[in-house]
Amino acid sequence: MSQDESGRSAAKTALAASLNRRSLLKGASLAAGSMALGGGLLASTSSGARAADRTEITFASAKFYAKKTIAQIVDAFNESQSKIHVKYIELPPPSSSTEVHQALVQQLARRNGAPDVFTQDVVWIAEFAGAGWALPLDEYFPAAARAEYFPGLIDACTYQGKLTALPWIVDGGMLFYRKDLLEAAGAKVPETWADMAMIAAELQKGGKVDFGYLWQGKQAEVLVCDAVEVIASNNGSILSADGKTASVGSDQAVEAMQFLYDTINTTKISPADVLSWDEEPSRLPFTAGKAAFLRNWSYVYGIAQDPSASSVVDKVGVAPLPHFAGGKSAACLGGYQYGVNASTKHREAAVEFLTWMSSPATQLRFAVDLGLAPTRPAVFNEAELAKEQPFMQTLQGVFTGATPRPVTPKYAQVSLALQSGFSRGLVSGDIKKELTATASKIDAILGT
Amino acid sequence: MSLQQTATAIAGPRKGAGNPFRWQLVTPWLLLLPAFLSLASVSVYPILKGLWLSFTNTSLVTQEHDFIGFGNYRLLWVDDLFWNAWWHTITFTAVSTLAETLLGLAIALLLFEHFAFRGVVRAAMLVPWAMPTVVTSKMFGWLFDGQHGLINYLLKSAGIIKDNVNWLGSVDNALWTIIFADVWKTTPFMALLLLAGLHTIPKSLIEAARMDGARSLATFWYVRLPMLLPTLLIAGLFRALDAFRVFDLVYVLTGGGPADSTETLSTLNYKTLFSTLQFGYGSAISTAMFITEALIALGFCIFLYERLRRQR
Repeated sequence: MSQDESGRSAAKTALAASLNRRSLLKGASLAAGSMALGGGLLASTSSGARAADRTEITFASAKFYAKKTIAQIVDAFNESQSKIHVKYIELPPPSSSTEVHQALVQQLARRNGAPDVFTQDVVWIAEFAGAGWALPLDEYFPAAARAEYFPGLIDACTYQGKLTALPWIVDGGMLFYRKDLLEAAGAKVPETWADMAMIAAELQKGGKVDFGYLWQGKQAEVLVCDAVEVIASNNGSILSADGKTASVGSDQAVEAMQFLYDTINTTKISPADVLSWDEEPSRLPFTAGKAAFLRNWSYVYGIAQDPSASSVVDKVGVAPLPHFAGGKSAACLGGYQYGVNASTKHREAAVEFLTWMSSPATQLRFAVDLGLAPTRPAVFNEAELAKEQPFMQTLQGVFTGATPRPVTPKYAQVSLALQSGFSRGLVSGDIKKELTATASKIDAILGT
Repeated sequence: MSLQQTATAIAGPRKGAGNPFRWQLVTPWLLLLPAFLSLASVSVYPILKGLWLSFTNTSLVTQEHDFIGFGNYRLLWVDDLFWNAWWHTITFTAVSTLAETLLGLAIALLLFEHFAFRGVVRAAMLVPWAMPTVVTSKMFGWLFDGQHGLINYLLKSAGIIKDNVNWLGSVDNALWTIIFADVWKTTPFMALLLLAGLHTIPKSLIEAARMDGARSLATFWYVRLPMLLPTLLIAGLFRALDAFRVFDLVYVLTGGGPADSTETLSTLNYKTLFSTLQFGYGSAISTAMFITEALIALGFCIFLYERLRRQR
């Protein structure tokens, strides 16, 4: 009843109000104005107090989280000193890579200094540097400081001889293998692709597994990663050292891709389905105990050790990917890196924040609290890491072989051409022809 | 009545006030103005802007933004990937629209009849269509997986195939698998449109045909189908224009591969516009899509117009 009553009286008030709308509007605008004024005053006093002794900078990063969030790490920085205050801008998670990229490009293209510091996927570094959006950091991080990171990462952060990004977190392609099966067969962890194929074929023939080796052949970014790994492990490369011409048509590259083709068609250690598989479809048979070897990223280990999702708990080992005879193991470099906006108005503050974020102590926090692998080899030796993330600690060897994807400002275009060319080669088997065609396509992209 | 009176009472004095001649001319346009402005801002302006961009080399990455005339179109004309995607899109549109129309018609005819639980069946039929395409795409990914997919398992258990079929990882199958998925998902939508069309056919016509001794097939062929044809064509037009923009299924299931065998114009355009941020070239692809779609729509409209004219 009382509800009805109040409803009616509300209607009456509304009526009265609408009758006297003009005066009401005037009142409302006055109220809003005074509120804005009051709010402004309040805001200016609080931020004024802050601005007096603190430089305000913004930090935009894709969203990562586990036990803690990036915001909490940023807060820790804000509390650790009294000169700089960092405002964290959260971008979508790295799985929405295209959106993160777009958001950053739109911001940076304005050249108004916001965000002061940002994090970027490793394949955008050259693009941002080429556009002049990323501040060269050489003077702040001299050779001695750079030597404290994995060398492959510093290569990826360097564009035309200048350090334009600073390593933050790393991931890479690695070989997952079945410890129990290798032991039973009396085989060592394979170091060359030929050994791996032989063991895989044997285990498959013996009926121990359905598939010898699983990888990712879907026409997508991951195919470029798988290809970079085999090609680099045969001393080949996709672009020439200066990044100006394509070398993907070289004999080393063709031989390497031929190996991947053969896993489906000659040695038959991989099902033809890998041509439509990205990470997850290829991971499933492995954690279901149906495959001997798998190429994938570090996340697989957590699933493999989870009894509710895996039938191979404690039976999985991780090693650097195999290589060709005379080559070296290569892990396609993933992960996100820091960058400083070239138009920032607070260069010193930005660099100070960056130094803190990339310091061994902070990297340890990211590793322990967010599960993000450090980019400094030294952090891998920390006792706390060994206790909290024992698996991550074993990956140091994998990341030592980290190999960047082609470093060029037009990476996105190059990558699309590579995805198409690799996929065509793997389907038709005429690898030489497809890779040569891809090379001339890439030359055309880089030439313009 | 009273409403009308009030209306005239309000409109009355205004008509008399001021210059009646001018207001009568201007008022309708003024009333149309908000609609026109909103349409222009969300539809006309973006189209013109897109057209303009297609004549430039705008790229967020290289920071270029210069007029280059028909440069993009010249590139497009000799771009294998574009024509490859164009043919896939046309094939996809033609086959899926045809299959969905025929199947949809069959389902609509069935659901038009009276039977127990008809309402439930009608509602249940719409479920696949009501699900977000990305979700169904993921589901289809697992169903059609070559190694652990349900489809292969069922076909093998039934003895129809001996070895697993590589549905998505083979150039011969991938596009057809995607077309199958689209037919499965969108046939209910066609069935619904056609069912609505069937309900508009006067019962008396069918009764009259029956009285004249026409059997079901003759009734369908000479009465229902001709009456349904306009609905059929309009539904087909809607479906064809929608199918032409196919994106989610391809993007989730194959990403355009293997070997570009499922690349469609939308996925190619997405990659060009949003991955490589080449707004100029991407807009040229968009414009080419726009023109192709306009031609498809024109074809349908001419056919429909001719049909209606002949009926009169």
